[in-house]
Amino acid sequence: MAIVKYLSKRIVEIIITLSMVIAVSYTMMYFSPGGFLNTSVMATALAPLQGQNPQLYHKIMLEFQNRYGLDLPLWRQILLYIWHELTFNFGNSMQNPSMHIMTQLKQSLPVSALLAFGSVVLSVIIGIPLGIIAALKRNTWIDYVVSTVSLTGQAIPSFVLAVILVLLFGVVFQGIVPVTGWGHWQETILPIICLAAGNVGVVARYMRGSLIETMRHNYIRTAKAKGVKYWPLVMKHGVKNSLTAMITVIGPQFAFAVLGTIWVEQIFAIPGLGQVMQTAFTSFDYPLAITSVFLLGSMIMVMNLIVDILYALIDPRVKL
Amino acid sequence: MSEPLLSIDNLHVKFARSEDEVYAVNGVSFSINENETLGIVGESGSGKSVTLMSSLGLISDNGKITSGTAKFQGIDLLKLRPKQLEDIRGREIGVIFQDPMTSLNPVMRIGDQIMEAMLTHQFCSRKEAFDRTIQLLHEMGIPDPKSRFKNYPHEFSGGMRQRIMIAIALACEPQLLIADEPTTALDVTVQMQILALLQAQRKQKGMSVVMVTHDFGVATNFCDKIIVMYGGQIMEAAKTDQFIRQTGHPYSMGLKRSIIEVGHRGLEIIPIPGTTQALTDVPKGCPFAPRCQFATARCFNEVPKLRDFAVDHQVACHHAEEVVSHAS
Amino acid sequence: MANTVVSTNKEVVLKKENDRRRSSFYQSWKRFKKHKLAIIGLVWVVIFVLTGIFGPLVAPYDYHKVDFMAINQGPSAQHIFGTDNVGHDMFSQIIFSVQNALVIALGATVVSFIIGIIFGLWAGLRGGITDVIIMRAVDFMMALPGFFFALILVVLLDRGYTSLILAIGIPGWAGYARLIRSLVLGMRNGEMVEAATALGASQAHIARRYMLPNVVGSMGVALAFGIPGDLTQIAGLSIFGMGLQPPIPSFGNMIAQASANILGFPWLLYFPAGVFAITLLAFLFVADGLQEAFSPKGGK
Repeated sequence: MAIVKYLSKRIVEIIITLSMVIAVSYTMMYFSPGGFLNTSVMATALAPLQGQNPQLYHKIMLEFQNRYGLDLPLWRQILLYIWHELTFNFGNSMQNPSMHIMTQLKQSLPVSALLAFGSVVLSVIIGIPLGIIAALKRNTWIDYVVSTVSLTGQAIPSFVLAVILVLLFGVVFQGIVPVTGWGHWQETILPIICLAAGNVGVVARYMRGSLIETMRHNYIRTAKAKGVKYWPLVMKHGVKNSLTAMITVIGPQFAFAVLGTIWVEQIFAIPGLGQVMQTAFTSFDYPLAITSVFLLGSMIMVMNLIVDILYALIDPRVKL
Repeated sequence: MSEPLLSIDNLHVKFARSEDEVYAVNGVSFSINENETLGIVGESGSGKSVTLMSSLGLISDNGKITSGTAKFQGIDLLKLRPKQLEDIRGREIGVIFQDPMTSLNPVMRIGDQIMEAMLTHQFCSRKEAFDRTIQLLHEMGIPDPKSRFKNYPHEFSGGMRQRIMIAIALACEPQLLIADEPTTALDVTVQMQILALLQAQRKQKGMSVVMVTHDFGVATNFCDKIIVMYGGQIMEAAKTDQFIRQTGHPYSMGLKRSIIEVGHRGLEIIPIPGTTQALTDVPKGCPFAPRCQFATARCFNEVPKLRDFAVDHQVACHHAEEVVSHAS
Repeated sequence: MANTVVSTNKEVVLKKENDRRRSSFYQSWKRFKKHKLAIIGLVWVVIFVLTGIFGPLVAPYDYHKVDFMAINQGPSAQHIFGTDNVGHDMFSQIIFSVQNALVIALGATVVSFIIGIIFGLWAGLRGGITDVIIMRAVDFMMALPGFFFALILVVLLDRGYTSLILAIGIPGWAGYARLIRSLVLGMRNGEMVEAATALGASQAHIARRYMLPNVVGSMGVALAFGIPGDLTQIAGLSIFGMGLQPPIPSFGNMIAQASANILGFPWLLYFPAGVFAITLLAFLFVADGLQEAFSPKGGK
């Protein structure tokens, strides 16, 4: 079946790209001043142990060495590591050697995924109608407002918007919506709005542009000559043909949403993958750092894949 | 014979551009009766398409009808509300456009596009519409209609797509069919097929056809009456046989002479000198004067009115008699 | 004799003016002027740049200076934007942050641009397998947000002005490379060039009249959009704690710290966030205006 072939081809491409990302990251960690092991927080945390219980210390270090094959040539280390990552064998966090990275991720990944995917869905649901209205009422005040708002929303990075929201709801309008923490559904409101706000603008603008462009085509004229009424004309003939152009922008927007998620988690104090990644980087917890980048990267790639499939579903001219 | 099916009277249409205005149609009047075919011939920019499209409300937003009436079965289309116009379009009046490659919705099955014409006007029930569609596809010469129903436009060739367009236009058995350069974008062999198809349909359904074309040969072949347009005005209007025997307008004469006819080897090809200019001002005189060999000062200052010249033959030229004697 | 000379001069002047009017740069400038937002943006950008250059010289307080007698004060006459929990004057902090942000963002954009031109030219002019490899690399770089690569590079290079410039600049080459390459290909094969050559125009003439405006326009717009992007990245890095280290002030740091203490001292957040947001918007409006100026798209 064509779709199976296509999917397998894409998955292979994704794996290759991710492997390259891992390889590149690993290489850079490898060359960072002080080397992999010694400057890490683990080394500093374990340093006292060296004095207290040298045998245990060496045992841990040896285990570590074996796991990452640190005595092997670089290229073999990389391959080994890639293999580990792809088989979800993430190993232990360096900050907290007793804890498996996997457990940490199991808790935080769903949080970030919810934020990222949720915001994209929200921005599409709001953005498409906005774009349609702006296109139909071109050059009126409605159009102008939508365009300006979307340009601004697109321009402001999510963390700035997050800050503004924190200010608004944390200080000015206290008590309406919770600003920090994560446990109740209410706490998802602000972060998702924050992330979606930027995207809504982009979606609306692309929808508008695409629809305006579509309405210029000859088949719209044919439909009008057939006597098709206004809304069926706009929806069945106009919007349906404009969706494809707009979908192509969702992929990159999702990448921005993921970036936004990392920042927003910082500001709203949300225990997601972004926070995990942040602590990993600042503490030089290399395995955790690389793994979190790997996971976030795969989320982006999966989303791109979904977008491509959607595109093929909507446009019958595209053969997978 | 009762009143004409379509009667356009003194129509003026202009388009607004960013810096100026284009006067596309400047006082066009003609009519077509039931069961009649009318050919409108002219170069690009002569206003032939705009005349018909504006009557139907199908021109772009920057176009304005400044005066005139367009009566269909006695009702002035220009005075109708958009919804009323929508009811007539596709139901009483069908339209075929020039470029079949871009005139069909690429993401909609062709069968659905044909059915849409009927369902929009509640012409018949859904089931009946489906059967009619299959029947239409069959009449149009599209093989295996039942399975082709589900195909998309990009799975058909240009000629096929034009047939589908015709099916859409004829779906509700309109009284009037407007064909805007239906064969211009097609290969010559396919052109003949489409024209034959239109002929057959017309005879069978007894509808009137207005065919807009720049192809002189097509017009004279297909139509009972011919109108020649230039610069947004009618230059000559006549029954076809009259027209072939005798042309009274310098432009029509020029058109006749510039055709390369089969079997006439060695005849000099005499093009009409000059090029068409978009009219950015209301024309003061005859629009063809700058290119006309018979032009005099009067031609530049006085707009020639369409006047009777011979039986079933009208010309808008101050010097029509000269033209005729020149030709013979 | 004198009269002839005078009138010839006049003709020359008139001709020069007419040429100037018709030159595409002038027309683009006219289009740019039409966008009010872009003009406002340009004004603010100029202010920003001037602050960056001269600000630190006139800042009321050195950013190192702490004053424990005046901690956590709201905006006042002495401290226009208030102070933070160790007594830093926020106004001065912001001025210094402006300078830092400016230096790093501009530096990074230049770095990305240079690397991008090199690869873009190489790919476009060499063609063949070099082209394919480079374009694959571009696809790879664009698959993931550059921020991730920047984070990793910061780990490698540690945090200083130069390292940050490189960390943000290096991963940014892909977009410029793609642009340059398409410009190169367009120029080599363009129909305009064919037509002009057929008419006998000399190579230099072609280059100057046709290619240059096109190329400069596209590159200018790309650069204009690159700066706010890099500004965002440096702020983002700082929020993560991977940017400039305290006591060197930066927007990201200020925002991150202030978010933690917002209840008590909201002004610590208003001013840095506000200034940053306005600056970003300013650069973006200017970039948008430039884009409209050089390749007017539908608005009509």
